[in-house]
Amino acid sequence: MPDRGRKDLDPMIGLEIHVQLTNSPTKLFCQCKAEYRQYPPNTNICPVCLGMPGALPVVQLVPLIYAVAASYALGCKPNPMIIFTRKHYYYPDLPKNYQITEFEGAHGAPVCKDGVFRYLDPNTWEWKSVRIRRINLEEDPGRSTYDKGGITRSPFVHVDYNRSGVPLLEIVTEPDLRSPREARALVEYLLLTLEYMGVMNPRLEGAFRVDSNISVGGGERVEVKNIGSTLDVEKAIRYEILRQSKIIETGGVVTRETRHWDGVKGITVPLRHKEEEEEYLYFPDPDLPPVPITPRIKRQAAELLRLTPADVYRKITGYGVKREIAWSITLVPALAKLYLRTVSLAKDKILAAKLVGVDLKGELKEKGIEHPSENLLPKPETIARLVNMVIDKELPYDTVKGIVIPRILDNPNSTLDQVIPKKASISEDLLIKILKENRRAVCDYLQGKKKALNYLVGVVIRTLGKVAVDPRELRNIIEKTILDNKEYFCENNSVTKP
Amino acid sequence: MVPGQLPYWKTRQRYLEGSLKPSEHLEEIFENIEKWEPVINAYISLRDKEELRKASKQADKAYMQGTARPLEGAFLAVKDNIMTIELPTTAGSLMLKGFMPGYEATVVKKLKNAGAIIIGKTNLDEYAMGSTTEYSAYGPTRNPLDPNRVPGGSSGGSGAVLAYGGADLALGSDTGGSVRLPAAYTGTIGLKPTYGTVSRYGLIPYANSLEQISPMARDLIDTALLFEYMAGKDPFDATSVDYDYTGLSERIREGLDPSTLRICLPQELFEHTDPVILKTLDRLYGKLESQGATVEEIKIPVLRHVLPAYYTIAFAEAASNLARYDGSLYPCRNQDAKSWEDNVIGARTSCFGREVKRRILMGVYVLSEGYRDAYYVAASKIRRLVKEAMLSATRHCVISSPASPVFPPRLSETLDDPLKMYALDRMTVTANLAGIPALVHPLAYTEQGLPIPVQWMAHPFGEELLFRVALLAEKLIQNS
Repeated sequence: MPDRGRKDLDPMIGLEIHVQLTNSPTKLFCQCKAEYRQYPPNTNICPVCLGMPGALPVVQLVPLIYAVAASYALGCKPNPMIIFTRKHYYYPDLPKNYQITEFEGAHGAPVCKDGVFRYLDPNTWEWKSVRIRRINLEEDPGRSTYDKGGITRSPFVHVDYNRSGVPLLEIVTEPDLRSPREARALVEYLLLTLEYMGVMNPRLEGAFRVDSNISVGGGERVEVKNIGSTLDVEKAIRYEILRQSKIIETGGVVTRETRHWDGVKGITVPLRHKEEEEEYLYFPDPDLPPVPITPRIKRQAAELLRLTPADVYRKITGYGVKREIAWSITLVPALAKLYLRTVSLAKDKILAAKLVGVDLKGELKEKGIEHPSENLLPKPETIARLVNMVIDKELPYDTVKGIVIPRILDNPNSTLDQVIPKKASISEDLLIKILKENRRAVCDYLQGKKKALNYLVGVVIRTLGKVAVDPRELRNIIEKTILDNKEYFCENNSVTKP
Repeated sequence: MVPGQLPYWKTRQRYLEGSLKPSEHLEEIFENIEKWEPVINAYISLRDKEELRKASKQADKAYMQGTARPLEGAFLAVKDNIMTIELPTTAGSLMLKGFMPGYEATVVKKLKNAGAIIIGKTNLDEYAMGSTTEYSAYGPTRNPLDPNRVPGGSSGGSGAVLAYGGADLALGSDTGGSVRLPAAYTGTIGLKPTYGTVSRYGLIPYANSLEQISPMARDLIDTALLFEYMAGKDPFDATSVDYDYTGLSERIREGLDPSTLRICLPQELFEHTDPVILKTLDRLYGKLESQGATVEEIKIPVLRHVLPAYYTIAFAEAASNLARYDGSLYPCRNQDAKSWEDNVIGARTSCFGREVKRRILMGVYVLSEGYRDAYYVAASKIRRLVKEAMLSATRHCVISSPASPVFPPRLSETLDDPLKMYALDRMTVTANLAGIPALVHPLAYTEQGLPIPVQWMAHPFGEELLFRVALLAEKLIQNS
C-alpha cells in the first residue's frame, strides 16, 4: 500500500460490505427465489431455508458463479475450494440459530483472499486502491419487524423468512481508507462494479449493508454496524471520527467496542464492548463438503466481467469527453451501453456524450427515472442520427435538447420524423391576427424590449397547438412580420429600431 | 432367527405363491403388536389400522395382478427421527411432540416407491443420543428377548419391533453404533452403510458427519434387500454419493470362497470384552481358518482413542444442530414467556431431556474459543488418523470384532453412569469415524437366550463383501 503521507491522527477506516446477490435466480442453498421482496410474508420458503431438521443445504450454482466473478472484479484470486463453516448466535430471524459462512479460523475457506481493488474517487478524480482482505459467500437471515413502539416497546417480533438464505457476499477491506468521502466513493464504485456484472441491483431496499471499523490517532478500533446507504457511510464515519477525536483531544482513551448507526438521529450508539464479544462456536459445516471451483465455474464467472465501470470510463474519456460527463454516463449502465453503441455511428463522439450524459440523463431525472430500463431509452441509431444532424447543421442543438429528446422519452417507439420539429409554417393572416391580439407586446418589442419577442414566440406556439415547430425559425418569421408591418401594430408610438 | 417370524424375502415368496396375502400378514403383525407393545414400548406412534388394511389390500391386488414391486407388502417400521408425512416425527423428544412439518425423508420416499408400507414410528433415545433407548421422552423400550434388559440404542425401538414381529423391515440411524448395538442386543441385523451411500435428507440430525440412515432386518438377505432400495445419490444431500448396489441381495447368495478371505482382528477392539462373547468369536475364527481363510491379529493403536474422539465430534455437531429448537418454529414453547429470551430458555429447559442437555453443554464447551483446539480440533486429528488406518487395513482384509463388549445391560444399569453407557459404543464408533461400512449379526445365543453377535467392517462400498462374509459365518457357526 503506498504511503499517502499519513499523519498520526489520520483516521484508518476499513469496511465490511454485505451485498445481496439480488439477481441470482435462487437462494444460496435451496431453490427459493433470491428476489424475495415481491412476496407476501413467509411464502418464499421451504424446509431448507426455514432450517427445518433433516432438510439439508445444497450449494446452488449461480450464486457460486457470481461470488467467483466478484472475486475477479475485486482483484482477488479465488480459493480452489470454498469450505463452509457454521457461525452460531441466537436471533429470532435466524432459523437454525447458526449462519452458514466461511470462517478461516475454524478451517473454513472463503471465496477469495488478499485482493487489491482499484476504484475511482470522483471527489479528486484519482484512481485509488484498497486491499481486500477476503470475500465470504453466506446466507442472509430472515427479517424481523416490530409493532408500534419499535424494537424496545413492541410486545411481539414478527419474523418473515422470505429473505432467509438469500446469497450474500461479505466483502472485507483492509483499513486503507482515510476519509468518509473516500469510503463512500469506494462503496459506490464497488456497487457499480457489481451492477455492471449483473449480479445485483444496489437500489433495491436492503440490497446492501455496511459495517465500518474506524480508528483515530492509532487508537483502538470501533466497529459501527447497520449502515444502509452510501450517504450514511459518509455520515456515520464522519460522526465516529468526530466522536473519537473529541475523546482523544480531551485526554480520553477510545476503547474497542461495537456501535450501532442510528440513521434517523445521525449518531452512533454503543452496542457491546470487546469483553462482551460473542462466542460463535465456529466449526466446518458437516452438511457441505468443500466446493471445488471448477474451470467451468471460472469460465462462467469471467463472462460476467465483459464490461466494467473502469473500461467504460476510460473508453469515454479516451474519446476526449470531459471526465465529469464520462463519469455521469458510466454511473448509469444502461446509458453507458447506449453511448458505447452510439459512438461508432456518430460523427462527433463528444457531442454524443453530451446528448447522452447530460441532456438525456437530465431529462430522465426530470421524469424521476434515474435508472432507465433499456426499452425506455432511444436507440443508438437515433442518438447517432441526431448528433449527425446537428453536425451537418440540419438541426440546431437546442432543438435536439429542448424538443427532440423530451419527445423521444415521452414515446420511445416514435420515429425521428415524428419528433423532429418541421419547418414552421403559419399563414401570414393568422400570425398577424395573433400579433394584433398581443399588440402591447409587439409595441414593447419595437421599443427595444427584446424579451417581448420570446413571449410572442410562446403565444404563437401555444396557439398552434401540437404542431412541431422550430422555435428559432418561428422567431425569425415573427420578427420579420413585425418589422414588415410595424406601423400597423404600433401606429401611435415612436419607433426605435430594435 | 426369531421363532415364528419369517424374514421378508420369505414372506414375499409366499405372497408370490399365493399362500399368504399382505392383508393377512398385516393381521399377524397386529397380533404381535397387541401382545408385545404393552410391555416392550417400541412404537411411539402407529398408523390407523383401517388405513393400513386399505394399503395392504392394494398390495394384495398388486400380487394378484402380477404388478408387485420389490418391497410390495413389506411392513416397514421407521425410527422416529426420520421424517414421514403419515405420522409425526418426534425424535423421542418433547421438543417435537406431534411435529408434522409436511416433508418426508428421501429414503422413506424411495422405499414407499418400492412398495413398502410404513406401519409406525419407533422409539429411540432422544435425538438418537444414547445407547440403550432409555432416554426417550416417551418412556424406555424393553428388550423382547429379556424385558428386564435394554434393547440397545439409539434405534432400540426398531430392533425390538423386528425381534417381536411388529414389522418386516425397519429403518434406524447409526451415528456411533445406533443400529448395530440394538441388532447386537435384540438378535437382529444392522448395517451401518458407507458414509454418503444413503441420503440423510429428512433425518433429524444428531452428528451429521458420522451418521447414516441404516437398514435393520431379521436376516442378512432382508438387510441387503432393504439397503439396495435405500441407497443412491440424492440431489438434496450434498454429502451423498453415487454407487450402484443394484442386485446386491441376489448377488450375495452366490457365496464366498473362504480361501480368498483375509480377516484381520484389531486387538484394541477385543479388549475388556465378556469371555463368553470372545469364546464364540474364537470358535468362528477357527472355523473360518479351517475352511482356508487367513485370520490374523493386528494392532491399530489409535483405536484406543476412538471413544473420546467420537464423543467430542458428536457432541460438537449435536450442540450446533440442536440450536434451532428455540421455542419458535417447533411445538414446544414457553407460553408464559415475557420475552424472546425467556421463551428460548423456557422451551429448552423444559423440553430437552437430561442426556441431551449434557451433550449440548459438552458440545458448546469443546467448540468454545480457547478450547476448540484442545478438544474439537484434536478429536478431528484423531479421526483423520483412524480413517487413514482403517482405509489402509480394509484394503487388504475384512475387519472383525465383537459388536459390544458386554451383553445387554439391565434397565437403569447405565442410567446414572454416562461413561458406562458411552463405553457400550467402544467397538462400533470406529466405522462412523472412518466412514466405512459395518455389519452386525447374531452368531449364537446364550443359554439365557441372549444373542452373541459379531461385527464386520470393510472398505468403503464393501457392503457386498460384508454380506457374503456374514452369510458364510452364519453357515459355518450353525453347522458346528
